[in-house]
Amino acid sequence: MTAARVSRDIQVNDVTMVFHGQGESVIALEKVGMHVEAGQFASIIGPSGCGKSTLLRLIADIVQPHSGNVTLGTDTPRAARRAHALGFVFQSPTLLPWRTVRQNVELPLDVVGRNSARRSAKSAAELIELVGLKGFEDALPHQLSGGMQQRAAIARALMLTPDVLLLDEPFGALDEITRQRMNLEMLRIWAESGTTALLVTHSIGEAIFMSDKVFVMSARPGRIVSVVDVPLPRPRTLDMMRTPAFYECVNRVRDGLFGKEEGSSAASEPEPAEAY
Amino acid sequence: MASVKRSVRGRAAAVVRPFISLFALLAALELLKRGGLLPVFVPAPSQVFNEIITSPRLVTSNLGPTAFKAAVGYFIAMGIAVAAGSIAVLVRALYSPIYNFSVIINSIPIIATAPLLALWLGTGPQVQIVIATLACQFPMLVGTVQGLQAADSRQRELMHVLSASHVQTLRYLLIPRAIPYLFAGFKIAAPSAVLGAVTAEWAGAERGLGAMMLYALFSYDTPKVWLSVLLTCLLAASAYGLVVLIEKLVFVPGRKVELAD
Repeated sequence: MTAARVSRDIQVNDVTMVFHGQGESVIALEKVGMHVEAGQFASIIGPSGCGKSTLLRLIADIVQPHSGNVTLGTDTPRAARRAHALGFVFQSPTLLPWRTVRQNVELPLDVVGRNSARRSAKSAAELIELVGLKGFEDALPHQLSGGMQQRAAIARALMLTPDVLLLDEPFGALDEITRQRMNLEMLRIWAESGTTALLVTHSIGEAIFMSDKVFVMSARPGRIVSVVDVPLPRPRTLDMMRTPAFYECVNRVRDGLFGKEEGSSAASEPEPAEAY
Repeated sequence: MASVKRSVRGRAAAVVRPFISLFALLAALELLKRGGLLPVFVPAPSQVFNEIITSPRLVTSNLGPTAFKAAVGYFIAMGIAVAAGSIAVLVRALYSPIYNFSVIINSIPIIATAPLLALWLGTGPQVQIVIATLACQFPMLVGTVQGLQAADSRQRELMHVLSASHVQTLRYLLIPRAIPYLFAGFKIAAPSAVLGAVTAEWAGAERGLGAMMLYALFSYDTPKVWLSVLLTCLLAASAYGLVVLIEKLVFVPGRKVELAD
């Protein structure tokens, strides 16, 4: 069963990453360290170009750091990837357009084998139902809306019960209303799967609403400037976004993002619409 | 129901319309010829069709060999081009040599090489097959190379994160992604194979549309020349149509959408 699976913690130690452009080198990440406990939901937030996606891609073994290291549980990212322990949801759904929704969700099974121990206890049909696409199993991606495609991509990432689920701004392209609904669904799915989740986002509200822990990053060079623990209980509800505890977290993330001194912005309460 | 009926009628009209204009054109030509307004080298359509009726063996004995040689050349070219294109994509070092070689072959004028090849290989059907092969390989190679490179970086990263093997990446991503590009190449190549075979027949062949064309030219038999031209067109167009039909049979709607972006 999925609950029996031990999820992995994410440990990032002093990772530095430099991109060499024409003539100049850009330090994408400078001595970044972070730790996400097994089973936690964490977010990375920061301005565009702060290297947050790079950090996520590093954890997924898509790119390699120049120095420092990453461990997932006791493994390197490469070993974890080879063990099919990673789920990755890209910014765009990245469904294969010639495959139906069911075939897309089953793609990981084609790669790993239908009898793999990694296989989710849930069938493709159940996962499709979980993400709310029941009735669209035989639809092709281009027949679905953007939000529906992204939900299919999430179901695909869950097909192998990942120990670590990496989400690279998965709801960035969605409208506000769909986005909130997807956030709630994502939390429900995450709670059910017991996986460690790491979300990259540039929405303060989304980061806090979803997470136990928010890593705030600055750009050029990309580094983590503050870590905000979110004390809100689970399961989260949309009403919690109107509580003082939520605002407190919003302010602390803002302080990290905009470099204000402790407490200076606490007096001006941010409006919910702006925060989210 | 009404919309279904309308779409059926619309489709029927789409099929019929070109025939109406073709028929009008032929009728106009016929009238102009009868009125003595066309030069001697343009025969009346009725004269051309009369050739088919008076000597049907002329058509069958020449159409068959050309179609056969073009088809054999086409399939040889398909095998070589798809294999060479795949190697070009998979082995980076061979990309330029293979691509350049294919471009050079494609830029050689067939009309000049046909007699040379006939000298080397004899005047049997093998020359026409070789030339048909050379004439149609390029679009198939381009289709293969473009197609196998068409998967975007996100899709490749997806296969990477899934820890898919090279063979799996080829099977689940690169090949399905390449299919619309392959068919684009196959479609362009089909008439080229026919034209290659016909051109090669000029350099010496006992049977075939090219031979028929040449004999008719030398005997100033204009209706026969036009008939051979007409048959070449029909053969080339049907070759194209056949590939389109095959593509329709293996067609998955999502693919077409992807090719556009």
